[in-house]
Amino acid sequence: MTLIENIMNSAKESPARIVYPEGKDERIIEAASNAYTLGIAKPILIGDEDEIKQIASEKGLSLTGIIIQSNKEKSFIEKYAVSYSKTRGVREAIAKRLVKKPLPFAGMMVKEGDADGMVAGVTSATASVIQAASLTIGFKEGMSTPSSFFIMVLPNFQGEINKTLIFADAAVNVQPNAKELAEIAVFSGINAKALINLEPKIAFLSFSTNGSASHKDADKVIEALKIAKEMNTGFEMDGEMQVDTAIVPRVAVKKMPDSKVAGKANVLVFPNLDAGNIGYKLVQYLSGAQAIGPVLQGFAKPVNDMSRGASVDDLISVTAITSVQAQGNN
Amino acid sequence: MSGTVNRVKKVVAEVLEISEIQIEVSSEFVGDLGADSMQSIELVAGFEEEFDIEMDEDDALGVQNVQDAVTFIEKYL
Repeated sequence: MTLIENIMNSAKESPARIVYPEGKDERIIEAASNAYTLGIAKPILIGDEDEIKQIASEKGLSLTGIIIQSNKEKSFIEKYAVSYSKTRGVREAIAKRLVKKPLPFAGMMVKEGDADGMVAGVTSATASVIQAASLTIGFKEGMSTPSSFFIMVLPNFQGEINKTLIFADAAVNVQPNAKELAEIAVFSGINAKALINLEPKIAFLSFSTNGSASHKDADKVIEALKIAKEMNTGFEMDGEMQVDTAIVPRVAVKKMPDSKVAGKANVLVFPNLDAGNIGYKLVQYLSGAQAIGPVLQGFAKPVNDMSRGASVDDLISVTAITSVQAQGNN
Repeated sequence: MSGTVNRVKKVVAEVLEISEIQIEVSSEFVGDLGADSMQSIELVAGFEEEFDIEMDEDDALGVQNVQDAVTFIEKYL
């Protein structure tokens, strides 16, 4: 069974109410329709009911089991504007203007418990999705920034078939400081465990291994590890280390023989977005790995961002992931 | 133009909770006026309320300073 099939099965155990702010996008309607049929989510499409029904009918898509929620509905706008205004301290008239936009409207649905998670981004910029989610749903306690990870499934890594690794953060934080890097590591560990039952062994990556180089960038990684350890997660974590030390036992034995993580790491924490983003794409294209994500984390409730080129299958996978994340939240 | 500038300054002052005197046409919301990077959508909602217009969410991300906002809003007026 593939990793995604496993996640889909977990989602089916208790399908969450997933809201899609870009409800009139054809791919979204098809994905929502399939998600309901597969039993992985209870979809909510944001938009004009007549418009969505017409698109569905033209494309021959079933809307059975799907709720269509207008973001113009006054009772919802009033309720969400009062809540938003109270949380953010902006005038209610301004809050009303804001919450009737699809992304913040969907975010407020999640915040107010009218939905369990949100999947967006097929027609919106990542920055817009993150901004709307940050302002409406807010961050998980102890998190100061949203971040992301990719689940990388390598077809064959040193004889191991379908080797699964977590790469973080490869999509959101450009230059995380030590505290942010620590949060990224810890929450990637927590989410990897919740989502794919991976017992995290977290490697803080650098160009330096165990003090082999002296530089402020390596110092940042060392400081991040210290902060992460103080968060008392019980996870195995170590660093700073180069990526070969992290994942190749032969190298680990030589460079960090006493480490419980080196050579066995399955959560790779990159020092910045240059490294993370370049790293995941290299692995994806050079090894033929499947890259699932980015899975967003750090929000008080689950939100995931899709690329504009996302396919219906991508949307279904991310819906399943969001549904499982929502189960963990509850 | 100057009317729009003054009304934009009024909204910026309200949303960012600063004095209008601090706001120049060239002021950057994040760099100069202490906005956090998440607040552009609140500024846009403030402009929409003040000018009774509707602006696109993604386009709003490009509104980085007072002059950008004035130029952007005048397209809708």
